[in-house]
Amino acid sequence: MFPTSQQTIGPFFPRGFIADADNDLTRVTAKAKPTKRGETILLRGTVTQQGGKPCVNAILECWQADAAGRFAAVDAEADPDFIGWGRTFTDVTGAYEFRTVLPGGFTDGTGTRAPHANLTVLGSGLMRRVLTTVFFADAAGDPVLGSVPAGLRPLLLAREDGKDGKLRVFRFDIRLRGEGETPFFDL
Amino acid sequence: MSDVSWPTGVEPVVPIPGYPNTWTHTPQRPAIARAPGRTELAAPPGIARKLGVGTVNLAERVPGKPAIGQLIEISGRILDEDGRPIAGAVVELWQANAAGRYAHPIDQALAPLDPNFEGHGRILTDADGRYAFFTVKPGAYAVPVQETWWRPPHLHFSVFGPSCLSRLVTQMYFPGDPLNALDRILCSIPDAAAQQRMIARMAPPAAVGDRYLGFSHDIVLRGRNATPEG
Ligand SMILES: [Fe+2]
Repeated sequence: MFPTSQQTIGPFFPRGFIADADNDLTRVTAKAKPTKRGETILLRGTVTQQGGKPCVNAILECWQADAAGRFAAVDAEADPDFIGWGRTFTDVTGAYEFRTVLPGGFTDGTGTRAPHANLTVLGSGLMRRVLTTVFFADAAGDPVLGSVPAGLRPLLLAREDGKDGKLRVFRFDIRLRGEGETPFFDL
Repeated sequence: MSDVSWPTGVEPVVPIPGYPNTWTHTPQRPAIARAPGRTELAAPPGIARKLGVGTVNLAERVPGKPAIGQLIEISGRILDEDGRPIAGAVVELWQANAAGRYAHPIDQALAPLDPNFEGHGRILTDADGRYAFFTVKPGAYAVPVQETWWRPPHLHFSVFGPSCLSRLVTQMYFPGDPLNALDRILCSIPDAAAQQRMIARMAPPAAVGDRYLGFSHDIVLRGRNATPEG
């Protein structure tokens, strides 16, 4: 059968679909206790369109391994208090935030993966979702980063940006189109 | 990777003439091919737990106080590319009310809000991949761009399948609406058959009953419904 076509998420993705802890990967739900494993960090950035204008009410989905580089779907040892997924929306300035743990690296069929999180962006004017990967440290040797032309690789590295309280802040800005356009992947 | 590419004519062609947002949001560089590793193939098993599921009736949030509009039931199955049902898929639906207005702070249209209609719900598919919502038929609305056009009545769907590949955000249209052929978003799909597959079908009253007008609509997600390997 043919897959159903993609269409834009539009400007009106309901606020009612976004609950308090949805952008907090350290808790499975708002009522759940936070995971005890790993370093809690804040991942912050903006989503902008051509000309640097903010994208408002863009939807971001974050997906990553746990602090030890494990995924619950394939590893029984994975952190039971961490599902590795969260969702949020951008505010009027295009800003987003995830609270998560610094992901661990791991080895899979593609090679040795550096610590990273996959981000999906959906938004008004985006007819297809876009997918990118943010790396948290020196990621030389990572096969996904290696598939990106060398000159564009720095665009996928989160920048450490001080602390908020006790938590390290990492910044990752997503530019959908134009100058400094973020590299996106096909799956 | 040929197994991750879309069949010809199924994906929207972008940017879209007359839809200026696509000119400013669509990346200029083509997407980079990458080998699917564990992050790309696995999917979180706990999305339903995190988001919570269960809202089925959008039309009657308070029993006895139905929303204004044509009451409809929309139901169908979530399938994989082999036609096998996907059980346990999270299905999200949101839409405008019968007047064509979203209950969202960003929507500043003149059309009135309906206090009895908020217009979003989230459920899990059953063992047969089946979902169903009770709601109202949404109204058309004009897109606030200089050379405006009217969006035909449509439902927004977001579906989480068994892998990242099968994540889908799409829209569903109603059969026979004259605005369908004029919609720049529906018509961005080049293949006529693919467009037709986004239009729901009438469901017989025998299957739905006499309270709600029935429509049926199946959604096919990319990928085969196999457990991702480690
Ligand atoms: Fe819409």
